[in-house]
Order: sequence, then structure tokens, then C-alpha cells
Amino acid sequence: MTEAISICSENHKILPIMSIPPDVKKSLADYKHTSLFWTDLLYLMSNKQQTITATGPFRKFAITAKKLSTETIEMNEDVTEFNSRLAAYYKQLADTWTEAQKEYTRKVPELPSDMENMEASKRIWIDMFENYFTKLFDSSEFAENFGKLVTSELEIAKHWNNMTSALLESANMPTKKDMDEVYQELHSLRKRIAKLEKITNPEVT
Amino acid sequence: MTSEIRIDPKLLAEFITLNKNILEAPNLAQSLDEINLEVTPYEVVHSEDKVRLLHFSPLADKQMKTPLVIAYALVNRFHIFDIHPKKSWIRNLLTQGVDVYLIDWGSPTQINQHEGFDDYVNGYMDNCIDFVRKESSSDTISLQGYCTGGTLSTVYTALHPKKIKNLILTSPIIDGRRDSTVVSNLAKHMDVDKLVDTVGNMPPELMYYVFSILKPFEQGFEKYLNFFKNIHNKEYVENFIRVEKWVNDTPPIPGELYKQWIKDVYQDNLLINNNMYVGGKQVSLKNISVPLLTQVAVGDHLVSPECSMPIHYAVSSEDKTLKIYPTGHVGMIASSFSQKKVLPEFVQWLSERSEKK
Repeated sequence: MTEAISICSENHKILPIMSIPPDVKKSLADYKHTSLFWTDLLYLMSNKQQTITATGPFRKFAITAKKLSTETIEMNEDVTEFNSRLAAYYKQLADTWTEAQKEYTRKVPELPSDMENMEASKRIWIDMFENYFTKLFDSSEFAENFGKLVTSELEIAKHWNNMTSALLESANMPTKKDMDEVYQELHSLRKRIAKLEKITNPEVT
Repeated sequence: MTSEIRIDPKLLAEFITLNKNILEAPNLAQSLDEINLEVTPYEVVHSEDKVRLLHFSPLADKQMKTPLVIAYALVNRFHIFDIHPKKSWIRNLLTQGVDVYLIDWGSPTQINQHEGFDDYVNGYMDNCIDFVRKESSSDTISLQGYCTGGTLSTVYTALHPKKIKNLILTSPIIDGRRDSTVVSNLAKHMDVDKLVDTVGNMPPELMYYVFSILKPFEQGFEKYLNFFKNIHNKEYVENFIRVEKWVNDTPPIPGELYKQWIKDVYQDNLLINNNMYVGGKQVSLKNISVPLLTQVAVGDHLVSPECSMPIHYAVSSEDKTLKIYPTGHVGMIASSFSQKKVLPEFVQWLSERSEKK
């Protein structure tokens, strides 16, 4: 599911630098399979006893446990992806800082020792760093990595939401999905009321 | 062997003064919570859910009959239009006889996440404008939209042309493909469906991040250095704190609205190509035939002039004016420059096209 991450290098060539190593990917998949296998088997073996209390909390706890372990394993994969994207993000910032600093040192080789030179060199420093970083933030490489960084963060948030929902469900409490349905329903009700109000009170329209 | 470092005494004095200023700062500046950003008195004349319609008290005897409704942006709050008595856009308009209303979008919560362009344009905005038309006994009103409020005002005028007498667009977001800002660059690579599905509304934190990379060294370093340097300048400090409070108060944007805005305006560029649909109706910019004033700023790093200017050429209005100012996004509406240059030209344009009482 992950792909190689490219970063913007000094000469703006795209270099593949990071991805989840295949052996890590494989061991995660093996772990997921083994874990789910035993969870399923234990669930099946204990299912008969659980059906006796089908409306009670025990059955829900068993289902919830499986859901939580699946989500945790999948979240680990996304955390790896997130960390790779975050590393690429900081590398882009660090590389740009180094380039800007090099250019600044070339233009201002000596530390200013009087007020006038200090002000001038501060201006050069700000302008130079501003230019280098604006160029980075304007680049498609930065935006692409940033977009994927946010996406991977959202994936983690999604798993977290799913885990929370599983726990809320087991406690017979409304989940995010339930609340979304309520919001959606309220939204369409409001629209219908507004439409009806406009029909019954058309004087200003 | 000894080495000698020569330092200009002035430099040393400057450094010591700066340190002293930093230590004195808490005694000389108010904290953000101690500042009230409301300057000019107003009355809430209409409200619907979190949206409020504000009517500002007149400050001139003679007034233009055609009222002006300002549709503020979705990012940050409306206070930037009235940030300081000496730089207040609203106060200036009032003293020149303009009857000013402003739509405050409020602070949406998760319950508002399904609200989109249709709800904002055909719902909230239309209801506010109908209210003003009724209260002022005017069939038509002048509409000013700022930033994303400019996008909403454009869509509104295209869909409800008979209710608008004059349209003023100040740094509107129109042609996302041409926008050369960092905002647009990030927006084009955003998986907005996933964002909205996962978190509901667009979180303010994302907006703060975007602000932080716009001019990171000027805004993140020099601005604060200058603040401490000028800590004894009461007016400078007050203005700084007020603007900082405004910058750091951005409400979430309803998920559905944010999704459509990013997709239709930045990613698929549907608005300028007349292919955007709102409430099941196609938004054709050719439907806009009212007098149009477009104001853009050359130094705008949030909405580049190339993004705003295409509206001038896309509408069918015969009476249209494009003004380009040597300032920035906020400088256009809340600066000494806007008071001296932008507002007088704006009011002159408006008064030539408004009915007098």
C-alpha cells in the first residue's frame, strides 16, 4: 500500500528515499494474519457459549476485541507511512535551510560587527530564507508530500475513530456514524422547513 | 596569544535594549483575552443558526438609500473590517453615508458539517439579503464580498441577479487554476474527501499551518522582533495585539462547503468555466450584468491577482471597473493605505451607482 517517497533535493531532482521495507511489510502482514486467525478461532470456539448471552455485553466484547486488534494492526501500517512522510517533510525543510544558509554565508562571509551591517545582513538573511522557503512551499514536490502526510494522518485518525466507535457500540452509546446520520437528517429537515417557509411567506422573494 | 573581538557599542546597546523590552513587554501590552475587537456599535437584526446579520449604526446625516451588505470571508472573523477606529473599513463607510450591513458567519460546529454552497448562498445569504431589502424598502442592494466571501457573492449574484444593484469583489477567489499562492498549491494536493469524511469540518489548525508558511521569516520572526523593538509605541502595540488576536481566531469551515470550495474552485476550476452547480443550478458568470468593481492587491499572498482578475472578463456587465492596488490581502481593507486610497475610490464608485435618500 505504500509507495516510494520522493523528496526535492538540492538541484530539485526527485529522488526516491523512503518506503516501508518489504521485510517489515511482510512481518506486519504475518502478524496481522496470525493475530486474526487466533482471534477468529477463539471467537468461533467460544461462540456457542456467547450466543446464550447474545443480547448481553459479552458477545459485544468479543466482537469489539477483534475489531480493536484489526484496527490496531492496520493503524501500525499507517503510522509507518506517516513517519516516512514526516521524515521526508523535515528533510525538505532541512535541505532548504542548508541551501539558504550556504547562499547567505557566500553573500555575507563575515559576522557583522556594527549596527549598520547588522541591519543589512539581517535583511539579507530574512529575504534569502524567505525566497528559498517560498520556492519550496510553492513546489509540487512539497505540496504532494504534504498532501500525503495529511492523508496518512487522517488514516490514523480514521482507525482511532473506528476503535472509539467499537467501544461506544459495545456500551450502547451513539457512535460518530450515528451522530453523522443525525446531523444529516437535521440538515435535510432544516432545508425542507426553509423551503416550506418560503412557500408560505413569499412576500420578499 | 590573545584574540580580540570588536563589537560596535551601538550594537551592544541595541541588544541590551531589546532584552529590556522583552522583559517589560507584559507590563506594556494587553493579552489577547483582554482585548475586545468590537469597535463600531451594531445591532443584530437577523440571525439564523450561527449566522448573524449585523446592522451598523449610521455615523452621517445623509445616507445612500441603497444599503451595502458585506459578505465576510469564511476564514477568520469579520473583525478585520473594524479592527481599529483609525483603520476601520466599516467606520469609514458609515462616515461617508453608506448604510452598512455585514454577514457574520459565526463559528460552525459539527452539526453544520453537511452545509454546502447551497445552504450558504441560497439559504443564509439569501435570507439576510431578503431581510435587508425588506427593512430598507429597497428592491436591490449593493453586495461586497471579501476573499472567500467574494466567491460566495459571485455565486449569489449569478444565481439571484435581480436582487443585486452593485457588486464589489475585494480579492475574490475565482480562478483557482491561475492562483500562484502557497494556499492554492496545497489545496490542489489535498484529499479533501478523506479530510471531511474523517474530521467533519475543516479544522482551524490546518488554516493556521497554511498561514505559518506564507511568509515564515517575516511573519514568524521579524514581525515579533519588531513588536519588541516598538514595545513603547502604544499605538503600534495595540494594533499588533488586535491583529494577532484576529489572525488567531479562525472558526472551522463546514465540511461540505470546504469540500466544494476546494474541488470546484481550486482543483477542478469549475467556477470560472461556468460549470459549477449550486443547489442543482448551474452557476453562469454571464448572468452577472450589474455594475462590478473588482479590487485586487499586487502583494496579495493569500489570493493572487491572477486568481481574482478573471472575474472582470468573465461577467457580462458593461459597467465594470478593475482596481489594482500596491498593497496586500489585509492591507487592502485594514490599513492607512486603504483609508487614504482604497475606500475613497470605493465610496465614490458606490455613490455614483446608488440611490440617494
